[in-house]
Amino acid sequence: MNGNIWVLASADSVAIATTLVLAALGALFTERAGVLNLGIEGILLTAAISSFLAADSSGSIWLGLIVGSLVGALLAGIHAVLSVVLRANQIVAGLALVIFGTGLANFLGKPAEGKTVATIIKPLSFGPLSDIPLVGPIVFRQDPITYASIVIAILASLYLFRSRPGLELRATGDDPATVDAQGLSVASIRIRYTLFGGLLVGLGGSWLMLAQSAAWHQAATTNGIGWIALALVVFAGWRPMRLIFGAILFGFTLQLPFTLQAEQITFIPSALMQMLPYLATLIALIGLSRPSTRNKLGAPKALGIPFVRDER
Amino acid sequence: MRSPIRVVFEQRNETPKHLSILVPLLSVVAALVVGALFLLATGYSPIETYSNMLSDGFISSRGITDTLGLSTVLICTGISAAFAFQMNLYNIGGEGQLYLGMIGGAWAGLALGDQLPTFVMIPVVLLVGSLAGALWILLPAFVRSRLGTSEIVTTLLLTYIAASLVKHFVYSPGSFFVTKNSAFPQGRLVPDSASLTGIGDTSLYPTFFLVILITLGLFWVVKKTEYGYRIQVISDSPRAAHYAGINANRTTLSVMLISGALSGLGGAVLIVGPFGRLDPGIILLGYGYAGIVIAALARNNFSAIIVSGILFAGLRSGGDKLQISTDTPIHIGVMLQGAILLFALGGEAFRRYHIHAVRTERATQ
Repeated sequence: MNGNIWVLASADSVAIATTLVLAALGALFTERAGVLNLGIEGILLTAAISSFLAADSSGSIWLGLIVGSLVGALLAGIHAVLSVVLRANQIVAGLALVIFGTGLANFLGKPAEGKTVATIIKPLSFGPLSDIPLVGPIVFRQDPITYASIVIAILASLYLFRSRPGLELRATGDDPATVDAQGLSVASIRIRYTLFGGLLVGLGGSWLMLAQSAAWHQAATTNGIGWIALALVVFAGWRPMRLIFGAILFGFTLQLPFTLQAEQITFIPSALMQMLPYLATLIALIGLSRPSTRNKLGAPKALGIPFVRDER
Repeated sequence: MRSPIRVVFEQRNETPKHLSILVPLLSVVAALVVGALFLLATGYSPIETYSNMLSDGFISSRGITDTLGLSTVLICTGISAAFAFQMNLYNIGGEGQLYLGMIGGAWAGLALGDQLPTFVMIPVVLLVGSLAGALWILLPAFVRSRLGTSEIVTTLLLTYIAASLVKHFVYSPGSFFVTKNSAFPQGRLVPDSASLTGIGDTSLYPTFFLVILITLGLFWVVKKTEYGYRIQVISDSPRAAHYAGINANRTTLSVMLISGALSGLGGAVLIVGPFGRLDPGIILLGYGYAGIVIAALARNNFSAIIVSGILFAGLRSGGDKLQISTDTPIHIGVMLQGAILLFALGGEAFRRYHIHAVRTERATQ
């Protein structure tokens, strides 16, 4: 065993955190508007295969990312129509989206089985900076989307807490009646942020496909990352900056089984080791999501509740 | 100037009877249309695909018995989901509880099968499987009833943990569940005393009738017993339940445990029935997730679950055979399942509200 593997493992944690950050940010924007979208896992998977097919047929990774993101927004649009316009049960609607998304992704993915993307998104190199021991591989050897995801999280934080539309967004999730009384359309705000959230989740799914997996493995491509992202939003108290740290932490648990396997550290059987990210998430959720703690953390007060104006 | 049009949702006091039938029916039709568009876009013939699914799923005699056989486990996961959903408890981890039911059932079959006769063994396997399913929801149920922690993501995360457990028991060397000295890792078949044979050499097992009986029993429990009444009161108004002195926490715990046990029963049914062994192939089948769709489409009504369970079994079994007969991806079945639920949810709005467009009167001085 050498120390180097743990540097690489940390670098991998940062990398794998990219999908978590993007998917959780998508969920965060949606939930801040008061809409609970449990369909993240289905959106991630469909976006992943769409980006694969687009990149594979066009030869352009960037086109893949764009198509994947748009497909993410499109699927989130279904959720928006059901939960905002038609006031359906948001929990069941989100689950329906997971099932539909999984079936659709596997259906579309049939021609992709056993194929890999020709070129994947490559890490950037910052010359000598990338070669600094410890810091180099972790900070200066990531790919553009990983850097972008952190920038997006910082911008999201500024937008939410330092801008007028951010204030309106938070108000829509906490107290839609007041937003309505201000003359703003609750429905329109909720639909917009649900779509935007889907776009971010779609980007996360596309990145997972085009930078991380490179090959289509059906549902194992996302393997529950969407659900971990949903838990991460609670863990981060609906705040984008905390989400980055949470994502790196959960990213560490996601890559650890693979690192240990590669190092042939086998005192824990690998199948059991693969439980780690879900166990860690479960423990974090149980610790944090009591209703009293949730409120203290800052859960949007009108989360999951359709807005119906009192007709007078 | 023309005044703008506004869409008004007017809550219905009473749902017209025809809509209760029309909405689910149109959902299925709309989903088939969407599926047809995807099939056309990917170069398959929708008519050929659907007629194959119809004959393989429902019309041919082999198709009917296969469908009823598959519906056995799907009705289990359907009533499991519905039993919790009716109290607004979203146990979406039926999939994982089903895996545990298989593990528990296989363990009982392998450990005790040589010592006990069939008429004792079958109930034992089903019971141990159900208990294992209940065990798998114990933690989410406990923290939900004691701390109020939402059960939605906790039950789901446990499904991934259960999947790892299944893989561990099948792939780790020297596991109790696998055949010794086999060329490739494979679950060990339970002894004959712990397995049933299909009726008339089909894939329809006697467990089908047992599951139907249990479903009708639950229908009776919910409609006619004091326990069922308590569930109704808590789901309609937790406040009223509190003032009526109903212990909602204890009911929450018991409802969730029963829900877990029913999914576990689904897993055990696979052990005495078609699988006969712990098989990691179950992980890709999504029978537990299908239960959510079946329950939602039946609007948590237990007698309706029998119908929607058989319908979905036909859809799945017809879809599964497509791959063999026409090389159409089998996942069309799962996709249609999700699409039907999406349309049914949308259609629910038309059932609950009288939706109409009105021209809003502009206030004049």
